[in-house]
Amino acid sequence: MKQINLLLTTGLLLIFLPLTSCMKYGPSQTEDFPPGPTGEGLLIINEGNFMYANASLTYYIPGSGKTENEVFFRANGINLGDVAQSLSIFEGNGYIVVNNSGVIFVIDPNTFRLKGSITGLISPRYIHFIDKRKAYVTDLYQEKITIVDPQSFRILGYIPVTGHRSTEKMVQWENFVFVTCWSYDNKILVIDTVTDRVTDSLEVGCQPTDLLLDGNGKIWCAAAGNLYRIDARSRKIEKTFPAQADGARTYLAMNASRDTLYYLNKSLWRMGTDQAATDIAPFIVLDKRTYYGLAVDPVTSHVYVADALDYVQQGKVYRFNTRGVPVDTLTTGVNPGFFCFK
Amino acid sequence: MTRFLFLFPLLFISGLTARAQDSVQTRQLDSIRITARYRLRDMGMQKTSLDSMELHSDITGSLAHVLTRSSSLFIKHYGRATLSTASFRGTSPSHTQVTWNGMKINSPMLGMVDFSTIPSYFIDRADLYHGPSSVTLSSGGLGGAIALSTSTPAQEGLSLQYIQGAGSFRTFDEFLNISIRKQQWSSSIRLYFASSRNDYPYTNYRKKHFFYDDQGNVSGYEYPVERNKNGVFRDFHLLHDFFLKGSGGGTWYVSGWYSATDRGIPLLNVDYKESSSVRNNQNDNTFRGILGWRKLHNGSKLEARAGYTYTDMLYQYQRGLGDGNWADMVHSQSFVHSLFSQLEGEWYLENWMFSANITLNQHFVTSTDKAVISTQGEQSLLGYQQARLETSGFIAARYRPSERLGVSVSLREDLYGKKMTPPILSFFAEYLVSRKGQVMLKASAARNFRYPTLNDLYFMPGGNPLLKPEEGMTFDGGLSAQDKGRLVNWSGNLTGFYSRIRNWISWLPTFKGFWSPVNIRQVKSYGIEFRGSAEIHPGNNWTIGGLGNFSWTRSLNLGDPVSWADQAIGKQLVYIPEFSASFTGRVSWKQWTFTYDWTYYSERYTTSSNQTRTQLGVLGPYFMNDIALEKSFRFNHTVLHVKAIVKNLFNEAYETVLARPMPGINYTLSVGIVPLFR
Repeated sequence: MKQINLLLTTGLLLIFLPLTSCMKYGPSQTEDFPPGPTGEGLLIINEGNFMYANASLTYYIPGSGKTENEVFFRANGINLGDVAQSLSIFEGNGYIVVNNSGVIFVIDPNTFRLKGSITGLISPRYIHFIDKRKAYVTDLYQEKITIVDPQSFRILGYIPVTGHRSTEKMVQWENFVFVTCWSYDNKILVIDTVTDRVTDSLEVGCQPTDLLLDGNGKIWCAAAGNLYRIDARSRKIEKTFPAQADGARTYLAMNASRDTLYYLNKSLWRMGTDQAATDIAPFIVLDKRTYYGLAVDPVTSHVYVADALDYVQQGKVYRFNTRGVPVDTLTTGVNPGFFCFK
Repeated sequence: MTRFLFLFPLLFISGLTARAQDSVQTRQLDSIRITARYRLRDMGMQKTSLDSMELHSDITGSLAHVLTRSSSLFIKHYGRATLSTASFRGTSPSHTQVTWNGMKINSPMLGMVDFSTIPSYFIDRADLYHGPSSVTLSSGGLGGAIALSTSTPAQEGLSLQYIQGAGSFRTFDEFLNISIRKQQWSSSIRLYFASSRNDYPYTNYRKKHFFYDDQGNVSGYEYPVERNKNGVFRDFHLLHDFFLKGSGGGTWYVSGWYSATDRGIPLLNVDYKESSSVRNNQNDNTFRGILGWRKLHNGSKLEARAGYTYTDMLYQYQRGLGDGNWADMVHSQSFVHSLFSQLEGEWYLENWMFSANITLNQHFVTSTDKAVISTQGEQSLLGYQQARLETSGFIAARYRPSERLGVSVSLREDLYGKKMTPPILSFFAEYLVSRKGQVMLKASAARNFRYPTLNDLYFMPGGNPLLKPEEGMTFDGGLSAQDKGRLVNWSGNLTGFYSRIRNWISWLPTFKGFWSPVNIRQVKSYGIEFRGSAEIHPGNNWTIGGLGNFSWTRSLNLGDPVSWADQAIGKQLVYIPEFSASFTGRVSWKQWTFTYDWTYYSERYTTSSNQTRTQLGVLGPYFMNDIALEKSFRFNHTVLHVKAIVKNLFNEAYETVLARPMPGINYTLSVGIVPLFR
């Protein structure tokens, strides 16, 4: 009887166990990317979805119209991370700020291969380079700006921004960096890059986001649906332009000669930086949806508008020439939001 | 008529009759009672019932675990004590309505239920109403509904059960049940406490540690072995059930359930922050109480219930200040008070059964985020405070013109706030094809609505008070059969379903920079569900059996395209597998039982366009294998049960949700003690 029982048990085990199978998971293959044409190439940061870890990097060659998606993943075999926010190229390195991963990846912008990373951050947003050994990193959740060394990838220190929960975009005029305080705030802080301390601030509309410097030493800021033209020297608002009737967020970009400002307001608008009022008609009529990013090629002044579609699929980027004629449509990763020209 | 009179008491007694209290002792593989019981009340319905034997099989398992293993529902989760939501027939978590002892427990703020917070040992019976059948329980179950209930103690007199489990990653589970049943009354107290460091190790294939040469060039790399960060949890539950037979045939019952859950939300495996620098935590305190009275009379039943639910939930995302203190980055808290009452009646008249009920739910919700700094640099509160009365009226008529044929029709009407949903009509029919094997054909159809949650309407910022209810039309039809012999018992149920949901609510970014819900999608879902079980008694104290579930679900976005570039139309919804299956095999010999659990999901897309390139757009097929061996030892005054469980038998490295690494092979040893007082 014992033998029968043993046989029964063994037989049943053999029946059950073949139901198994291996899951496809593990190391990913890497690819080599040959360097593109010198001086040409657009890198697009695809934010991905919050907590999905599906941020990605798209590479586009405007001359040939060739697009390569997920180049960071393919070059390095690892994820770019959760909510990639921005990318800046400095001294031949690309610095990708990945917000919810709390990391800045340093890559070769030609091969997309990792050269290192900056960690010890909480919720980094943008990086601004002061010189070869010093850069500022803004943060969504910290009342301080992190000072990092772009060469050693180490944290050097912090600039306290007490009373301001988040810091966002930065532009530099002479020795002063202007920083928007975005989340439930309405300030632009002024930081002395010599002392690394906040020395001044000015008030704009609620939740200021984009910040640009034009060719005349004027700073342009988008907040509460308005455009603010600020004199960098006097730190005074020179003029306020209504940009979004419903107080909604807008995106800004500047052309190659830094004398024309582009902004999104359901359609694409542009204005001269010394213009007294905004135009009556848009530069390019779009279909009145929320677009996710805007950039102007610093060489050709071609305009790129990012479209996140339903926010959970591969986005599109529409490219227009200086006359507003469509030139190309790119398919990117999920939520394309930031552009960096090589 | 005699048959109906016999069936009628069976309906109610079934909720009260003794069930085997201890899973190890008397488990039988046909314990899961499948749909199509030849009863008037469930006529034509697709209903799956899980009884206490199935629910009380694993001390480490929440209801999420049981539903994954024993039903066709897809439970999205990423480990123990993490948010576990159900997708019924390809719908969203808020499309599954859940009741506990008749009281709705879906969050009025979020619309859904987190099944990881329900210990399976606290539920004695779970009835899953698929598709149209859900409208007999509640509106809003566009996918289905689940009725959870507790029941009177199985044994007369005093009984006690204590189970302790110890497992990998410093996981401990304890369960105590003290109950007493007398002729006129019964009382049962259950305690459950679970805690775990939950810091399982895994090889992180989403990161690389690079090695550099003297020139700073990469010379090599390795995948780091990390531990699950911030996954620690503690879970405490206390439940008291009291039943009293009153004079005149009425029964009174009271149930109170308190739970306190403190759980970390694990960091993603692409997160480079240290767990000492950030803390991501959720605390929930919930009390549910219900008082009911039920009276059975000749051909009728009357039941009245009143209940109260209190929930406070605190979510904190904090950063370390380096001195042992923490600063809030997000501090979001909500308080919910819900009052519930229901009056229900059923009447039997010849071949007819009529039923009606009216249900009231009054919610009071306060939701705040106090980590916001105002433009004046001050702390301020952002949130909303709302109250809403939800009323639902239901009537149904069931008719069996012949022994083989049964038809029923029902009508439900809901009021939420000052708005009213259109009438919710449903039809059910069944036909007994063959007495041999109880071969039965069933069909049903229903119109259904789910009104927006309070967060959908009022959340700050983004709530949209102009939202319309989601509207569903759903149909299903199927065949069931079963046979019970001396040597072999078997049952099977095959169902096809089709549904269409309009005005599907989705949260999307707006021009203003925050997210807001809109009625955007139209979703069509269709598919097949199969459930089958078999049990063989070859003699010599052997029992061999298996229970399997399979479902094929196409859940397609048929909304209007956002633009010409939209690739999501006609595609499978995000995170809904097209195929899923589970199998449980058991072999018992004398006091020994060996159990084998196998679970499968096909690939899940993470983009609405079903992008499949690289690992960012798709999660590969999921296969899981668990085994358990248990033995009971009977002594003069005690029965002792020992059970060893091995989960992830083949030590698979995997993710069920993007960037959420799961534990490898892990072990639990549990010991259960049942004193014999007689």
